[in-house]
Amino acid sequence: MLAQQILNALTLGAIYSLIALGYTLVYGILAMINFAHSEVLMLGAFTALGLATFAPAAFGSGPSALAAMFVAGMAAAGLVNVVVERFAYRPLRAVSRLAPLISAIGVSIVLQNGVFLWISTQSLSFPRPVVIGQISLFGASVSSLQLVILGAALGLMGLLHFFVESTKMGKAMRACADDISTAGLMGIDADRVIAVTFFVGGALGGAAGVLYGMNYGSIKYNLGFLPGAKAFTAAVLGGIGNIRGAVLGGFILGLLEVLACGYIPDGAQWRDVIAFTVLIVVLLVRPSGLLGEKMAEKV
Amino acid sequence: MKKLLGSRWALGAALAAAAAFPFLAQAVEQPYLVRVAGVIGLFMILGLGLNFTLGYAGLFDLGFISFYAIGAYTTAIAMRAHVPAPLAIVLAVAITLAMRALLGLTILRLRGDYLAVVTMGFGEIARLVINNLDSLTNGPKGMQVRPWRPLACISPDPNVQYYLLILAGVSLAVVASRRIESSRVGRAWVAIREDEVAARLSGIPVREYKLLAFTLSAAFAGLAGALFALWEQFVTPESFVFWESVLVVSIVVLGGMGSIAGVLLGALILVGLPPLMQWTLSAEWINYRYLFFGLILVLATLFRPQGLLPSARRESELSS
Amino acid sequence: MTGPGPALLEVRDLAQHFGGLKAVDSVNLSIHEGEIVSVIGPNGAGKTTFFNVLTGVYPGTRGDILFEGRPIRGLPSHDIVARGVARTFQNIRLFSCMTALENVMVGRHSRTSQFLLGPLLRTRAYREEESAVESLAKEFLDFVGLRALGNELAKNLPYGAQRKLEVARALASEPKLLILDEPTAGMNQTECSDLVALARRVRERGVTVLLIEHQMRVVMDISDRVFVFDYGVKIAEGKPRQVVADARVIEAYLGREGA
Repeated sequence: MLAQQILNALTLGAIYSLIALGYTLVYGILAMINFAHSEVLMLGAFTALGLATFAPAAFGSGPSALAAMFVAGMAAAGLVNVVVERFAYRPLRAVSRLAPLISAIGVSIVLQNGVFLWISTQSLSFPRPVVIGQISLFGASVSSLQLVILGAALGLMGLLHFFVESTKMGKAMRACADDISTAGLMGIDADRVIAVTFFVGGALGGAAGVLYGMNYGSIKYNLGFLPGAKAFTAAVLGGIGNIRGAVLGGFILGLLEVLACGYIPDGAQWRDVIAFTVLIVVLLVRPSGLLGEKMAEKV
Repeated sequence: MKKLLGSRWALGAALAAAAAFPFLAQAVEQPYLVRVAGVIGLFMILGLGLNFTLGYAGLFDLGFISFYAIGAYTTAIAMRAHVPAPLAIVLAVAITLAMRALLGLTILRLRGDYLAVVTMGFGEIARLVINNLDSLTNGPKGMQVRPWRPLACISPDPNVQYYLLILAGVSLAVVASRRIESSRVGRAWVAIREDEVAARLSGIPVREYKLLAFTLSAAFAGLAGALFALWEQFVTPESFVFWESVLVVSIVVLGGMGSIAGVLLGALILVGLPPLMQWTLSAEWINYRYLFFGLILVLATLFRPQGLLPSARRESELSS
Repeated sequence: MTGPGPALLEVRDLAQHFGGLKAVDSVNLSIHEGEIVSVIGPNGAGKTTFFNVLTGVYPGTRGDILFEGRPIRGLPSHDIVARGVARTFQNIRLFSCMTALENVMVGRHSRTSQFLLGPLLRTRAYREEESAVESLAKEFLDFVGLRALGNELAKNLPYGAQRKLEVARALASEPKLLILDEPTAGMNQTECSDLVALARRVRERGVTVLLIEHQMRVVMDISDRVFVFDYGVKIAEGKPRQVVADARVIEAYLGREGA
């Protein structure tokens, strides 16, 4: 029971973390809340579903199908994010801090209603190309699906870590996050770095969308909103702009929710209240989040 | 002086036209428009309220609708306790102000987007608490509100009555905003927005003034919430979801932060657009109205990033 | 300590540390009413940090600041302004999208009291205060020589005028002590002597002036007394001519800048 609870928390936390990374990567460079990120992850899930529905032959079964779903979902989500950045955010980058946010809200509405109008107004069932069973782990019986989800999420986080720390583009991203105008002076093509950042953040969101679909077994046009809002909260909890903070925040939030549901009477009802209360309390104690850097004023 | 007189005349004419509107709508047998206009008015009051926080103090609030909810629920509960309606409105404003001041005292030390997410969190907490506290709020089933029919001497139609009350509320909100904006307090807010350190070292108690702007917003939300509850005679947590907070932020930013006329126009467009489309679009396009709404929001922001009717000061701030 | 009047500002053992960095350490000094006092020292000597502690931007780590005999260290900046200490900034910090006149009117904040009810009800007291603020602000603009530019946005003013506007804004709070952080930075000869004359006229109004200054010619010309800072410590003080002859001062300057 406890092992299952912990695994539940880790699974949920992993999904939140992946989404939170998308928010935090973009925020780290542009200091902008990508409000449309929740729709990007929803599109990732729908693309994977589309692949499974319309190209079952190419789709296959088992691990190859799983891989195909991820690739399709991540690529689509990444591309959508890049396109949105190019047309809806970039023209506003220099103008003000809030204009891109409003544009992002508009994009979010468009994407959600696009899926609502042209794909489905209802929940669609989502394929699970892995056999779901119970596996014995440390003497406890846990769901194999969750292990797959957790494994995939952790693998992607590892890849992201490698990308950011060890590749040239990753270094350019960090330079831009540090100080975008200086990075520009050093010969870094900021527009390109931003586009890559949106692609990477979107792709992680798309992966989270696929995982979300597998976890719950169905998807709907508005599925992105709730995990999106939670993951954004997680990113802020960890210290927005901070990659490790996003992961930490995601897992903390997952843990809180599962604990609230499992151990507090009427916990499911109060789950979100608890999560947000913890967020507020943490921020009051640490105004820049758990791992965020303190901002200093210069006179 | 001439300019002032001109603007006074223009304002008077606009007010007269707005007051005549419901009777015209009835005359052309479109009573539905009166309801739409009433809702637009409520969001004008909300937008002018948030304008204090977002436009004047530059604080980003993503949970403003919770104070609309607090105003509405205070009214509903007071009406259930047989408090006279006008007193219930006053009570709603007072309690909303007090809650907002308390929230501000706790969270205003946070900066920028951290504040945004905490206000979003508070908004969700408020909604969920309302949803879960069945004994006080009747939970998700919602609360009936005892009918109150003011201005029955002017029109028997409650929609017209409340439209006129809301119009009075909007006028009050506009006058109050204008007067405070041009006063010592308004100057202090502009100074804080432009350079917090310099403002502090010019003798402005920055924290207190931010708290003041943040708190004053709630008076408007409380008033709008009270009018909403009395008009609808029914309140439910579903009316106060996160999306509504986003809508109010969009109204202020799209209209032009810190611009009273901009906020009014923003509410007119963003709240009026979906019903207008519902009214004008043919059946096959009607489901597209929110898609169009989103597109218009994006395009309007791209073409007028500083807002549709930016205040002169904002425009110059953004261009520097 | 010698001086033309009683101590207006007295600083005892003042320190401001940032972690291990002693930006200001063990500073003792006093300033008398009616003086013009300069603080000089190499870059990074802690002069601006010292000003920041005086004006409540930083809280200070240790020590006392007595203004008119009352402790002010650690008070919020706006309280310190209300007690009669106003300042300008090394990098000009005007409210750039307000007009010059409005900038000065903001400076009047701590000497005015109308809050919400006044403007909401357009009371007589409110209208009187507003018109008094406006006419006073015009006087201050006039005093610094910017009368004609009152309706210009601050950001559109020429550089020298922006420096003067900062002075006018600070004066609007009717300070007893005016602190100027490098008032002549980036100015040409004429603008410099303009500012020196302005500082003198400020003193004639009975305002004590404390400034950071890099141009030795200005320092020699204007100061009654000079404090020299190096590595966060006050290493010398005295009349301008004494100070420039002081071996430690020469070393502080030449030892580093000559290297």
